[in-house]
Amino acid sequence: MRFGTTLAGSYPKLPSRAGDVNLRVVKNRRDQGKASDQDVTDAVRETTRRVLALEERAGLDVLMDGCAAWDDAQTYVARGLEGIRIAGLIRYLDTNTYYRQPEIAGPVSWKSPITVEDFRAAKGMTSRPVKAFLPGPYSLYRFSKDLHYADPVRACSALGEALAKEAAALEAAGASWIHLEEPWLGRARAEDAAAVRAALTPVLAGRTLRTVLHVPFRAPSAIFASIRDLPWNTLGLDLVEAPAGWELIPMLPEGRGVALGLIDARNTKLEDSAEVARQAARAAGLRPDLHYQITPTASLEYLPADRAEAKVARLVDSARLAGKGDA
Amino acid sequence: MITRGLWTTTVGSFPKPPHLEKARQAHARGELTAERLFAMEREETVKVIRQQEEVGLDILVDGELYRGDMTTYFAERMPGFAISNPVRSYGNRYYRKPIAVGPIRRDKEQTVSWWQFAQAQTSKPIKGMLTGPYTMMDWSFNEHYPTREAMAMDLAAAVNEEALALQEAGAKFIQIDEPAVSVRPEELPLAVKALGRAVRGLTAKTITHICYGDFDVIYPALLDLPVDMIDLEMANSRYDLLEHFRAQPFTKEIGYGVLDVHSHRIESKEEVKEGIRRGLLVLRPEQMYVDPDCGLKTRTVEEAFAKLRIMVDAVREVRAELGIAVEQGATA
Repeated sequence: MRFGTTLAGSYPKLPSRAGDVNLRVVKNRRDQGKASDQDVTDAVRETTRRVLALEERAGLDVLMDGCAAWDDAQTYVARGLEGIRIAGLIRYLDTNTYYRQPEIAGPVSWKSPITVEDFRAAKGMTSRPVKAFLPGPYSLYRFSKDLHYADPVRACSALGEALAKEAAALEAAGASWIHLEEPWLGRARAEDAAAVRAALTPVLAGRTLRTVLHVPFRAPSAIFASIRDLPWNTLGLDLVEAPAGWELIPMLPEGRGVALGLIDARNTKLEDSAEVARQAARAAGLRPDLHYQITPTASLEYLPADRAEAKVARLVDSARLAGKGDA
Repeated sequence: MITRGLWTTTVGSFPKPPHLEKARQAHARGELTAERLFAMEREETVKVIRQQEEVGLDILVDGELYRGDMTTYFAERMPGFAISNPVRSYGNRYYRKPIAVGPIRRDKEQTVSWWQFAQAQTSKPIKGMLTGPYTMMDWSFNEHYPTREAMAMDLAAAVNEEALALQEAGAKFIQIDEPAVSVRPEELPLAVKALGRAVRGLTAKTITHICYGDFDVIYPALLDLPVDMIDLEMANSRYDLLEHFRAQPFTKEIGYGVLDVHSHRIESKEEVKEGIRRGLLVLRPEQMYVDPDCGLKTRTVEEAFAKLRIMVDAVREVRAELGIAVEQGATA
């Protein structure tokens, strides 16, 4: 069996080697009036180029651009939508990282492409497939403060419709994969089913590109019955932080894909490739009919750049061992 | 007749003045000696103590102007920890995160000499300020320990040694911050166990600061934290925690946050007074220590002290309304 390889979100912006463009330094220089906005844009592009080259060198099958221009996983897209304004810093789930909280202040709608230019730029930098990245609509709702709808289903539906238009724009720009980051599906309860489906259905329905519903940190066990039959292609599971995800694999619909989050994106400790390969083979043994990828559990951005790079190498090595049946 | 209560304090950190920030950066680049930076940090610590006295706070802090990140500062001073390359916290802000690479222990003092220096500057009490074992564990990478509990308990023993050393030096208030406690309700029992180990043998008043979390889940279990006082963000949550206290009385002393530290806006005296009055509907004044929601280090120096002036004025007026004497010995 072949195990595909890809990332699961954003990637550290800082270079791990001296001499490479350092986006942090360029931004600081811009803030001190010593560099221009164009310099920052150039540094973002150079960072994207470096991240894609690193992924390509490591041997990943499907690349991600690393979200070099994003301040966090929500606001880059949220600020491009009508009806949303961006408020103060707030803790991101149970981590020691932060995001600016979107506030839904009016009817939400999509005005124009938000991420398409970045996607095109990344696509032009590599011959490998590039997976586009969007915040999942349900999680975007849960990360936001709703000051307008006062009804989770209506708010989720509006966010889903808006992000569906962005997904369609990415599709039109040539994206063949899209990664929807949905950490809140792991925290949703059965009674949230209507809101979850209202959020996800517009984004997933009728897509020709392959959709990844990625649930980092916790398993979507409580909501699984409500998302099982939605038209996603691949379900991304965090099997390190949330071993309960193993129980979902036997229940996945026939012919779908599963992204096995086996490389811990929240700890610097390097995995043993052979052990990861054994875990991947175990999953494949449970359901030989599924398509498998090995991925980090979440965005590698939680790690310092040197460890992230080492983890990407382990990921590829694990997939090679698992594919050879050496596990 | 109420004679005590509504003391004023702060949560710990104060903003570093721009020239000190620059000096820290210059030191990191090797352009400023450790001795020169240390001298500047002491100079600024004296200033921040004077400013707290001028504002009229009852219980002071050293301001933590010599610290960077609240976990990394301690990790840099303990065997068993390495420090990572920079990790992003938000946007263009990065910090170096601790990595547990071996057994963690305390082999030297971490804050005691700073506490002694600060206390020597004032007759008012200075709080000893530590980061709690659960937060140190949760906000570090772990390449050594088999379980989160094993790491937290080693850290708890180390924190306990430092806390006992602060007490031995004369600290009457010891605050052990646990901002990570509120975000993983399922691990509250571990946090309680670790904090219990960290405060073992302390007779000083013990305090923990935790940040806003899912109070529907963690309250009233939060009251199991084995300290005398729990310091909470009240203003940031628009005082909605009071509803929980109405349903289940808050049985400990409370650090009652009335200033939003995430906002540049200076609160009005009336809104702070109103926040305190709302608290007094479900809390006793002798339970309440009024303070900002969190550390003030993210504000400018001017904003921080403008907010504190408003807070102290508001408390004085509410004290007067209640007939509480202004000078009353906060350590009593």
